[in-house]
Parts: sequence; C-alpha cells; structure tokens
Amino acid sequence: MTTLRSWLGRYGALVRTAWLVDIQYRAAIGLWLIWGVLEPLITLGIWWTIAGDGPVQGYERADFARYFFAVIVVNQVTIAWDAYYIDSWIRGGEMNHRLARPIGPIHEAIADNLAYKIRAVAVVTLVWGLVAIAWPAVRIPFEPGRWVLAALATLLAAAIRFLNGYATGLLAFWTTRATALVSLQYGVSMFLSGRIAPLSLLPPAVVSVSSVLWFPWMLAFPVELLTGTITSGRTIANGFAMQIVWTLAWAGLYMLVWRRGIRHYAAVGG
Amino acid sequence: MDEAIRADELCKTYRVKVRDSGLAGALRALVRPRYRDVRALDRVSFGVAPGEIVAFLGPNGAGKTTALKILAGLLHPTSGRARVAGFEPWQGGPPFKRRIAIVLGNKQQLLWDLPAEETFLLNRAIYDVSMADYRERLDNLIDLLVLGEVIDKPVRQLSLGERMKCELVAALLHRPDILFLDEPTLGLDVAAQDTIRTFLKAYRDRYGATVLLTSHYMADVTALAQRVLIINRGRLLYDGELSALVARHARNKRLHLVLGDGVTAADLERFGDVREFAFPHATLEVAREEAPRVSAALLSAVSVVDLSIQDPPIEEVIRRAFEVGDDGGAAGDQDDAGATRIRDGASAP
Amino acid sequence: MMRVLRALWRASVAEELQYRANFVASLLGTVFWTGTAILTVAVFFGQTDDLGGWTVWEVVALLGIYTALGGLVEAVIRPGLGSLVSDVRSGGLDLVLARPVEAQIYVSFRRIDIWRFADVVLGLGLTTFALVRLGRAPGIVEAGAFLLALIAAAAVVYAIWVVLMSTAFWFVAVENLAVVFDALYEAARYPVAAYPGALRLLFVYLIPIAWTTTIPAGTLTGRFPPVVALGAIVIACIALFLSRLFWLTALRHYTSAGG
Repeated sequence: MTTLRSWLGRYGALVRTAWLVDIQYRAAIGLWLIWGVLEPLITLGIWWTIAGDGPVQGYERADFARYFFAVIVVNQVTIAWDAYYIDSWIRGGEMNHRLARPIGPIHEAIADNLAYKIRAVAVVTLVWGLVAIAWPAVRIPFEPGRWVLAALATLLAAAIRFLNGYATGLLAFWTTRATALVSLQYGVSMFLSGRIAPLSLLPPAVVSVSSVLWFPWMLAFPVELLTGTITSGRTIANGFAMQIVWTLAWAGLYMLVWRRGIRHYAAVGG
Repeated sequence: MDEAIRADELCKTYRVKVRDSGLAGALRALVRPRYRDVRALDRVSFGVAPGEIVAFLGPNGAGKTTALKILAGLLHPTSGRARVAGFEPWQGGPPFKRRIAIVLGNKQQLLWDLPAEETFLLNRAIYDVSMADYRERLDNLIDLLVLGEVIDKPVRQLSLGERMKCELVAALLHRPDILFLDEPTLGLDVAAQDTIRTFLKAYRDRYGATVLLTSHYMADVTALAQRVLIINRGRLLYDGELSALVARHARNKRLHLVLGDGVTAADLERFGDVREFAFPHATLEVAREEAPRVSAALLSAVSVVDLSIQDPPIEEVIRRAFEVGDDGGAAGDQDDAGATRIRDGASAP
Repeated sequence: MMRVLRALWRASVAEELQYRANFVASLLGTVFWTGTAILTVAVFFGQTDDLGGWTVWEVVALLGIYTALGGLVEAVIRPGLGSLVSDVRSGGLDLVLARPVEAQIYVSFRRIDIWRFADVVLGLGLTTFALVRLGRAPGIVEAGAFLLALIAAAAVVYAIWVVLMSTAFWFVAVENLAVVFDALYEAARYPVAAYPGALRLLFVYLIPIAWTTTIPAGTLTGRFPPVVALGAIVIACIALFLSRLFWLTALRHYTSAGG
C-alpha cells in the first residue's frame, strides 16, 4: 500500500528531523528534564515528612516514594507542550508555510513528541533504576505483565493529554490567551490527576467528579497500575475503558476545533 | 482559456483596532477601544496563463501579500472568486497543495539549527518525492543556484542570500506548477538578487512553471516579468507590460552623491534637477538616457566621493502614473473591475 | 543612571498599558496559582497538623511571602535579566555594552512589568490574612525585622538570578536558563523545616533558596528572634558581592572572547 508507505516515510523523516533538532537543544532539554524531576521530588519530600509520624491513609513513606517516582516517569511520557508552539507559530507567521503543506501540522507535533519522549523516558527510567539500587523504597516488584499494561495505559494517557493540549492550543486561532487556558487546565490537573497527592488522599467528592472527567486517566491510572496499587481486574478494565472514551472524545474535539480554526484563520489572516 | 490563475473581483477587508501613542493614548485605548475597517483588496481581477512570470508591484501595505495568500489558499477572500491550477485555493486540500509552492520573504521554512539538506529531505518525504527524482532535482537546482557546499552548513550560519536560495530549493523539490513568491529578493545584495532572478527565469523556461511574485523593487520586474500588476491600497491600478509604464512614467534616474569638500548645490544645478542637498549627501534627478553621460561629467567636473545611479522609488512611479488619491485611476480605459488597462502601449496622456 | 532607567520605565509602562487584557490576565493568573498553592497546603494539612512544626497559618503566611517575592521577580528581575540570553545570542548585548551605562544595573532593571506588582500586593495581603488567623500582631521590632528580612531575601534572589544568567556568557546555547530559577524557587514554597534531610541539604545549604521565604516568614510570626534578620542582611550583602564578582568575570570572558 503506497499510502501507508508514504506515511511511514513521512513520519520517519519528521521524527528524524525532530531528533536531530533535539540534539542541538540538548542542554535546554536537560534543564526542562531537571524541572520535571525536581517538582515531584519536592512534593515527595513534604509527604515524606508528613508520613514520618505514621502512614497516611495506608500510604507509608516507601509508598509515597514509589508513587512519585512513577509520576516522574509517566509524566515525562505524557507532558504536552505543543500548545505553546502553536501559539508562537500563529503569532509569528510561521503557521503559513505549515498550512501550505499537503499534510496538517499535527503530524509534526506527534513526531516531535515521539522524538523527545523516547529519549526522556529512557533517561528517567535509567535514573529510577539506579536510584532503586541504592534506595529500596522506590523499588517496584518485577511483574512484566503489569508493566505491559502500565505501558499501554501510559500511551493512552499521553494520547489524551496530547489531544487535549493540542485542541486547547488551537484556540490560539481566536485568542491570545490560549496558553493561559492550557495553564489553567494544568493547574486543575495537578490535583485531579494525582500530581499533588495520590487521589485516595483527596476528598471523595472531588475524586468522584474527577473520575467522570479525563484527569485521572492522564496520570493517576497508569501510575497506580505501575506501582501495583490497582489490583482488581474490574478497576483495570474500567480504567482502560475510560481512557479509550476520553481519547476518542478529545480526538473529536481536536478535529472540530481544527476545522473551525483554519476557517477562522483564513478569514482574519495571520 | 485554461488559465493557470484566475482572480475575479477579489475583496478582502479586515477589522483593526486603533491604538494611540503615548501614555494618555494607551490609557484611552484601555477603556474604550476603537476599530476601523481596512480594505486590503478591492475588486481585484486578473488572469495568468501557464508559464507566465507575473509580478505584483506596489508599495508596502498595498495588498500584494494578501492577494498572494488568497491565491495560495491561506486566506479566504471576503468576496470574489479565485481559481488556481484548476482548484479553488481555499478548498483545494492536499491535491492542490502539491501543485503549488509558496515562499514568504521574511518567514522561512528552513529548519534553523540543521543543515539545509535536512529540510530538503523532510520535504521530500512530506511531498512524497521518490529518491531518484529528489536526487536529480536537487542536483539541478544546486547547479542553477550555484549552491555547492552551502547545503551542508547549519542554516543559521548562512548569509541571507544563501538562505533564500535554499528556501527556493526546498520549495521546488516537488516540482510545483505554480510558484508564489513574496518579496523574494528583499534585503539581498545585488549579486544574490541577480542569481535569483536569472534562476527563476531559467526555471520557468525549463519546466514551464507559472510564477507570481510580489516585490517593491522595480529591478525585480524589469529583469523577470514582462507583465506587471500594479497594486496600491488594494486596488489594481495597472495590468500590462512594464515597458510601456516605464517608458512613460519612470523616465528619470536618481543620482545619489556623496560629495567632496567645497561642493555647493549651485555647482550641481547645471547637471540636473537637485532634489535634495544635505552636505555631503545630494540627490540629482536626470533623464534616464542622460544618466551615464551626466555621471561621467559630474565625476570629472566636481569633487565626488561616491555616486550611485538608482531608479526612482516605485511609489514615485505610481504616483506619477496615476496621480494617486482615493480615485486610484487616471490614464487608459477602465474595464469592469475598475482597473486601468493599458493595451499595446497606447494610453491617454 | 536613574534618568536612563526612568525613561526606560516610562516606555515600559506605556507599552504595557496598551494591552488591557494583560492586567486582568496577569492578576487572574496569580490569583489562580495562589489559589492552587493554598489548596495544596490544604491537602497536606488534611493529613497532618503541622509541617515540620509549622502550623497551617504559618505556612500560609510563608506562601504569601513566596507570592510577593515571586511578584517582585516577575515585575523587576525577569523582564531585564531574563532576556540576557537572547541578547547575547542576537548580539543585542553589544549594543548595551557600548552605551555609557553600568551594564549590570542596566540589564537587570531596564524593563518592568508593572502589572506584576499586583502579585506583591496579593502576596502581602495573604500574609496579613494569615497573621490575623494566627492572632498575631507583630510589634515594631518584629515588623522592622520582617522588612529587613524581606529586603535581604529580595537581594539574595537577585544575586541568584545574576549568577544564573551570567552563565549565559559561557553557555550561549541554553536559551531557557531562567527555567533553573523556576525549578529552584519551587523549593521556597514550604518552610525549611518541612523538608527531609537530603532535600534540605540541596535547597538550604547548597543553594540557599529556601531561606528566602522561611526567614522573613519566621521573623514575622515570631518563630525566629528579630536578630536573625540582621544575619540575613549580612548573607545578602555577601551574596550580592559574590554575584557581582561572578558577573564581572563572566563579562570579561564574553568581551575577551570576541562575543
């Protein structure tokens, strides 16, 4: 099938290009990675202090350590920065040549994500491995089946977060505040996705609301799969179902915003 | 028939916020913002045959880039229709985009941190060009543009001229039928401008591509396009051969001088019309044909440190040709689009 | 020098006023992020009664100082020093160096983002609110010590920025150097006592960022005796001195290396 071949060729070239550019920016990327690691570590530090007086609702110090290291890894796979690029392209006139191409700009973004994340995940997983050698608290049991499930959940989580970020970023066609909206969602997700604390430590009402939305499926679900907190087959199935639902939902929203967006862009120029 | 490009009554209107300067003005705009309508294009109509090189000429803000973007499918006209390579640009989708290429002067598509060749390889994949075709076309283009080793260096290390040439290569790898160029020679040195103009002509001669370019340099047009579309304030003022226009209205040349000590304006008056005098700089206007002779005479008679011969700015030519105000037209027959059309060099005075 | 700065500030303010949405967006942003920070503290205190000995309102008071100090950074420091990297890359720095002004002062304070001063007001307001909840009214001495400690904190933060951005003279390729500060400043959200040993080593002794909020908060709530503020001033002076040395060294490298 030549169409498949040409798409593979396209993605090959796009990923390769992104990979090469990342090499040029390795220092800057390194700094972003450091932030990505420091922030959860600080939160872990606080919980570690709190759990010093005894377990917090079943979470011992080691449980917190495992949880937040898993957050670090899953987060690196799922972070979504594309909104900021879309915004700067639209403001800077760099959207035009992308729109003149026979393929949409989303493919460039997906390839960019692939190139960065393969590297980043390799690094943080390696660091986790090394830390685990010295520090038993962060070790997770060797369960390849569970790890495969966790990897799958992480990929779906990445898809949700990517589509959500991209669709929100496309609002830059209409407003200069698109990145602010992304920030807003990020702030909310810090609680509802389980970045600040494992979801079981939040008020149950909040968690119920969150579970209906896409937030826990972007982080908490894959994390808890990885650390072994989720054991029931039913919970796992439900989690995957929710992930698929929200992936499709945000994919649909993306297509809607994209179509409307380029129409608007073509009306007001850029 | 079978025009490569057809534009009918294209109009494009924008709504812009009005901003005042200074602290007080900024505060005022904060509380009560005002808007106004900007007519970027006003009933522009024209056709371009396949293989033609046509130039949109006009001062900054005239509407040239807007017209180009509409024809390339990046903008939707407020009213009117366009047809390019058999497609309606806005609706064309990927099949349309494969037939065209657009190069926007100051915004580049080359990847900044990598060698230009990487961008070429990327475009090859995006446009689905076979490796064999890619190699052949790349070699041709590098030859014609005299690029050599340039494509191996990171783009950020290239000069403006080299970058522009690489932009052209990147745009032409998929052998588009229609090429849109926005200010392709902007900011380049004379040698680079020359190379690009020669290249575009050679490319068209070889592959029959249709080229539509915008410029505010007269030289671009004289070197490349027999046919010119003059746009000002969104209106198409003139559609025809440049030679007629030049012969009639760009009859003079400007001599820009840097004078040596002791030269006064009076000394220059016998050579031509002294337009400006701010020692040591002076501008002298003389008839086109007289320019070489007068220059030689000046150099031997008066102390001149530097001398350059230039065309009057395009705005002057337009102003003279059309006594531009809001009526936008003077000489020649009016066609239904209100554009002035001068045929066969014949025109009313 | 002041005349130059005043002229720059007037242009800066006029430019900012154009964008009426900026003020609202800025303020809403800070309110939102301060809100999330308070919520985070609430989540922590939902599971415990104290953080390293600090009670909830003491931590909120510290959060207010964190916000206020952050506002100062956004208003005064980041607009100027933050663009040093791009200035070095674009060659714009050469223009600065060619002018008859002191480079460090010029680069540091050439631009102000006035809207962000609202953050300072908001932060101090939060701290005041927390004090009321604590039932503490600081006396003259305590208030004075707090002011000194705050100034010292601002000075230390500035010194850290200078050192960080000076590295741009060596690492021209790293365009997001400011990210390092943002990452470090996260550690100043919570009192030093709240961190376990290893992190305390990093954020307190290695890079004294956590002190910048803990000391002013502590002197205000009476946790630390007022004399600590004097110590802070001494540290601040040393920090400013060292950062100045670092800047000059970096600048010398830049100019001698041909830019």
